[in-house]
Amino acid sequence: MTRTLLVTGAGGVGKTTVAAALAIKAARAGLRTLVVTVDPAQRLASALGVEQLGNEPQPHQREPNLWAAMLDASASWRAVAVRHADPDVATRLADNEFFQAASEHFPASQSYAAADQAATFVQAKAWDLVIVDTPPSGGGIEFFTAAAEMADLVGGRLLRWITGGPLPGRRFLFNVAARPMLRLAGSILGSDLLERVAEFLVDLRTTYDGVAQRGREIESVLRAASILVITTSDPAPVGEAIRFYRELPGLASAPSSVIFNRILPADWAHVEIPSSTSPELTQNMERWSAETVRQQDTREEFSARYGAQVATIPWSPKSPTDIDGLAGLLDGSSGIPWDEIGVSAPA
Amino acid sequence: MLDKRLVIVSGKGGVGKSAVVSGLALLAQRHGLSVLAMEMGSPGGLSAHFGIGPLEFEPREVRAGLHAMRMVRADALLEYLAGQLNIMGITRFGTVARAFDALATTAPGIREIITIGKAVWEVDAERWDLVIADAPPTGQIGSYLRAPKTVKELVPSGKIREQADRMADTLKDPRLTGVVLVTLPEELPTTETSETLDWLNQEQLIPRPQLVANRVLPELSNEEVPAGPIGEAAQLHRSLWEGQQEWLAKLHTDVQLPYLFGLLTPGEVAARICDEFEALI
Repeated sequence: MTRTLLVTGAGGVGKTTVAAALAIKAARAGLRTLVVTVDPAQRLASALGVEQLGNEPQPHQREPNLWAAMLDASASWRAVAVRHADPDVATRLADNEFFQAASEHFPASQSYAAADQAATFVQAKAWDLVIVDTPPSGGGIEFFTAAAEMADLVGGRLLRWITGGPLPGRRFLFNVAARPMLRLAGSILGSDLLERVAEFLVDLRTTYDGVAQRGREIESVLRAASILVITTSDPAPVGEAIRFYRELPGLASAPSSVIFNRILPADWAHVEIPSSTSPELTQNMERWSAETVRQQDTREEFSARYGAQVATIPWSPKSPTDIDGLAGLLDGSSGIPWDEIGVSAPA
Repeated sequence: MLDKRLVIVSGKGGVGKSAVVSGLALLAQRHGLSVLAMEMGSPGGLSAHFGIGPLEFEPREVRAGLHAMRMVRADALLEYLAGQLNIMGITRFGTVARAFDALATTAPGIREIITIGKAVWEVDAERWDLVIADAPPTGQIGSYLRAPKTVKELVPSGKIREQADRMADTLKDPRLTGVVLVTLPEELPTTETSETLDWLNQEQLIPRPQLVANRVLPELSNEEVPAGPIGEAAQLHRSLWEGQQEWLAKLHTDVQLPYLFGLLTPGEVAARICDEFEALI
């Protein structure tokens, strides 16, 4: 059985790095592990041995049980729609001027692409563990709602808005000029734009059954997954972490832990500063003590209010440049739910 | 920036864009300007820095002379249709709005031009001395700035097309429009900022941006440090500082805002950033 671990959180909190570090630990514990990421930093990509964007998992050159894939999310959604279209519709879609824009604009299309790819890897049953670094778009929650949202859009919500009611088939004589309201919209936007968009949406709608079926598969993969929320102690990412705790239980499963990254040592909170200490070092210590206290308060409040299992990872000043550096990030961590990942806790 | 009519603030997600917007807005207000701060991206950041609940489309006064609003595309669209066409009385008005929304999702440039158009329209209406836009993140800003051009390519005729030129002119005019890019001295924000700058330089859609680096640590001298937490804290600080300097060296920043230590509310952060900007004047 393939275990799935979804690593969520705001952008900039080190989510991708933590996902990669967990993957290395799991691989070294003997699990065939795939880590899936969207748009990592260049240094992290090199450390993982994936320099090129591509939806195919690459085996790591030095780690026998580790694979990595870096998603090209812009291409995936269109591929899904085309896959579910009849050949002639697929050709028309591929040439369509609106398709590119729609794949960028559909709310959640990036998240959809990531969820679809992740589900594909889980369904392949080629790995013991698939770790997914979820895209931060749409506050991250979007990753979990994208499949249903896309089915709804493709299924005709937009088309109904344009026609003002009935869904026309391809052969239906779609005549904008016959509808006064649409004629009005046409006067603002130009005469034939609505008609061209409607034609595109009629084509897109023929892919509905396939897209909806795929949506249900994606949903069942996500529901069976374990979820980790990563955050720093800053108010904005903590706010997003709170959203995950509030909203995920209804969409997938409740997060198993919240991991606070970039944590300062507990004994910095209250330090006796000898009077012989220079003013500069005194001020520096006072500043970092204040940070430490703020971090501790933030964690305590989170744990008390949301009943969350809290894990911590120490603040390491340099971003790792190789695989051992990445693995070393978890040295000094505490509370990581190793059993959820299928790894026995490191001594 | 305070002598412009429109200031567009962008940056990678998570760099403190809203904090900078609120700091600038407070500064302008302190100098007696009437200001509109406009939240265009994901909701919540700006209102927290003003210490108030969620913003709405209708501007509300958060300080004397300082108003704040949130961009809501459907409302902006209704306002646009009503203003342009004077059709509020017509029944089934919602049909037009929904058809527009479907288009805005499908056709390139439409949703962006409604958003950016609202900011330009507020400038044209001369209700405010200064409009400050908490704009979409740098990953999306290109499609917003390019929107007038995109719409002209897509739409052969119609009112939106007629306005596209005027909108592009306002955005390009350095007397009217200022641009601020906020960044952090870290790898991903630096890379993204640098790519955005290259793109902006190539497209020439807006004046050259001012670069603001946020959360910059102060330098610590190299004196010997004792064992224990005091020494450890100094060493961590120096390592972090060195890492930051490496990234700062890759961009020419106009302003560096300090890392704010300890427990501060978003409102306190905004006030501190306002003071930092004041010190630069």
